[in-house]
Amino acid sequence: MYKTIRPCHSRTSYWVLWVVTCCVLLFTISYTTPAQAEEYHLGLDSMRHNDVPKGTVTRGIWRSQKIFPGTERDYWIYVPAQYQDSIPACLMIFQDGSSYVREDGDVRAPTVFDNLIHQGAMPVTIGVFLNPGVIPGSAPGKQPRKNRSFEYDTLSDQYARFLIEEVLVKLNKMYTLSDSPDHRAICGASSGGICAWTVAWERPDQFQKVVSHVGSFTNIRGGHVYPALIRKTERKPLRVFLQDGKNDLDNLHGSWPLANQQMAAALSFMKYDYRFVFGNGGHNYIHGGAIFPDTLRWLWRDVRTPSK
Amino acid sequence: MRTLIGVTVLLFAQQVFAQDMPLTQVLIEKEPWQLVGEGFRFVESPASDKEGNIYFSDVPDSKIYKITPQGSLSLFARETGETTGLMFGKDGKLYGCRHKERSIVAYNLDATFQVVADNVTAHDLVVTSDGGIYFSDPSHKRIGYLSPQRSVAVVAKNLHPNGITLWHDGGTLVVTERDHPYLWTFRVEKDGRLSYREKYYLPLTLTSGSHLPGSDGMTMDRDGRLYVTSTAGLQMFDPTGRQGGVIVKPQQKHLSDIAFGGPQFNMMYVTCSDKVYRRKVKPQGIPFYGFSRDLSTNSK
Repeated sequence: MYKTIRPCHSRTSYWVLWVVTCCVLLFTISYTTPAQAEEYHLGLDSMRHNDVPKGTVTRGIWRSQKIFPGTERDYWIYVPAQYQDSIPACLMIFQDGSSYVREDGDVRAPTVFDNLIHQGAMPVTIGVFLNPGVIPGSAPGKQPRKNRSFEYDTLSDQYARFLIEEVLVKLNKMYTLSDSPDHRAICGASSGGICAWTVAWERPDQFQKVVSHVGSFTNIRGGHVYPALIRKTERKPLRVFLQDGKNDLDNLHGSWPLANQQMAAALSFMKYDYRFVFGNGGHNYIHGGAIFPDTLRWLWRDVRTPSK
Repeated sequence: MRTLIGVTVLLFAQQVFAQDMPLTQVLIEKEPWQLVGEGFRFVESPASDKEGNIYFSDVPDSKIYKITPQGSLSLFARETGETTGLMFGKDGKLYGCRHKERSIVAYNLDATFQVVADNVTAHDLVVTSDGGIYFSDPSHKRIGYLSPQRSVAVVAKNLHPNGITLWHDGGTLVVTERDHPYLWTFRVEKDGRLSYREKYYLPLTLTSGSHLPGSDGMTMDRDGRLYVTSTAGLQMFDPTGRQGGVIVKPQQKHLSDIAFGGPQFNMMYVTCSDKVYRRKVKPQGIPFYGFSRDLSTNSK
């Protein structure tokens, strides 16, 4: 699908080639994202404002030693301008971190955090954006093992333990974080969304706030059983935000719209503290990103950073 | 220029979720399983040579048969020491585990053989492009590696292996596990050691009353799909380990193993208890690692 742009000497042919490439890509994207490109827009809380203090974002590569040995992954840490070592901060972890952290992406989490923290609409929160792991090939020409589905779709506590026994251990040495599980949130999209749910489901003693965008509660690796499990398991102290759309995927793994509706129905039946937003979107971040500020307001509505 | 490329990449990068690989990419409508051999006691280990002929073992009968793409069946070897784990190497020899004699051998095309490893218990094997051999040793719950120089080492323990295969670039080893539902995946290091094991593939356990899928032999196609035989049928996985579907068994008996054969290597040959079947499919496999014939043309 993606065409390499060859350097052209002629400026006109260069631009024509670029326009053609973009048309091809936009057609491909529009095939999977009908209508909602016009319907859902980023609002002011997702834009930069000069009078809002800006947090810092640092980047690194995480090499897992213990839980996913052999994997490498990019990560970003966002620290709000208002963070102080003397006051424990809240924490929010994102799967597919590169998509959530991007300044010009569909979600722009650091910008939204800056705006909402400045408004006092959410507590001082450190954001940790983790990409899925990859096990590099052992030599040039050997394919890497992409770990995203294994890490995100598997129904087990392994990814939760990665966060708790590796990531949190390091974060706690760098920052002062609250150790209360209702001060910890986890967010993801697609397989990253079901991953967020799985982490909280497996370890509600550590994470109690979940945001899922177009979550893959389908049979990629057996995740379709969650609505059934929720209905027959004693309620866990979780707060859950689900976003999906009627044009989301319907394929060999399942129907995303139906699966998300099943999740919402199960959470409702068991009287969970949840919210389900079901629009017209497809399998992307557009709708979830457009409403992200309100999602965070709802998620953190009763949590405030204590004053000194 | 770089800015434009960057912007174009960003446009594309919104679609970050991996491509699915459903069975419609594999199966051809109105191409069912065809029976190509029957009357055996228990068949296993189909292996393809460079012409697409399939060799397979009737294990309790201690015989190896050959079947051509035209369907002509002949006896290749008798008194095989209940050979299992057949696979061709790049050198044109047919390797196998003569497990009654505790040896790994290389059969010549006249059915004579040389012992390449003695005093080893091996069930299934895979031959790398440089002539190394990884073999499963279920009786000792380990994986062995026979180097091209013919030294033997234990490269993985604490598992109960059965079938064994490699990704086509030889960089990742996959092993079925008799005691658990998942398949193990390892990175293959340059010196032959295995590292970073992971329960990467999870076949479905569909038969009621079972708690294990019954995974046995495996193979891969050139697009990176993995196929593993199981009680439910032939289960297919994409290169990120996601299950793409279950291909129904040709008969309701044990499905033990699979290999791609035929002149274009787009025929799946499966050994199913007392019968051998084949099925024409869309993807292509390779007969052995290091095989380099260009399959996109019809040249031989």
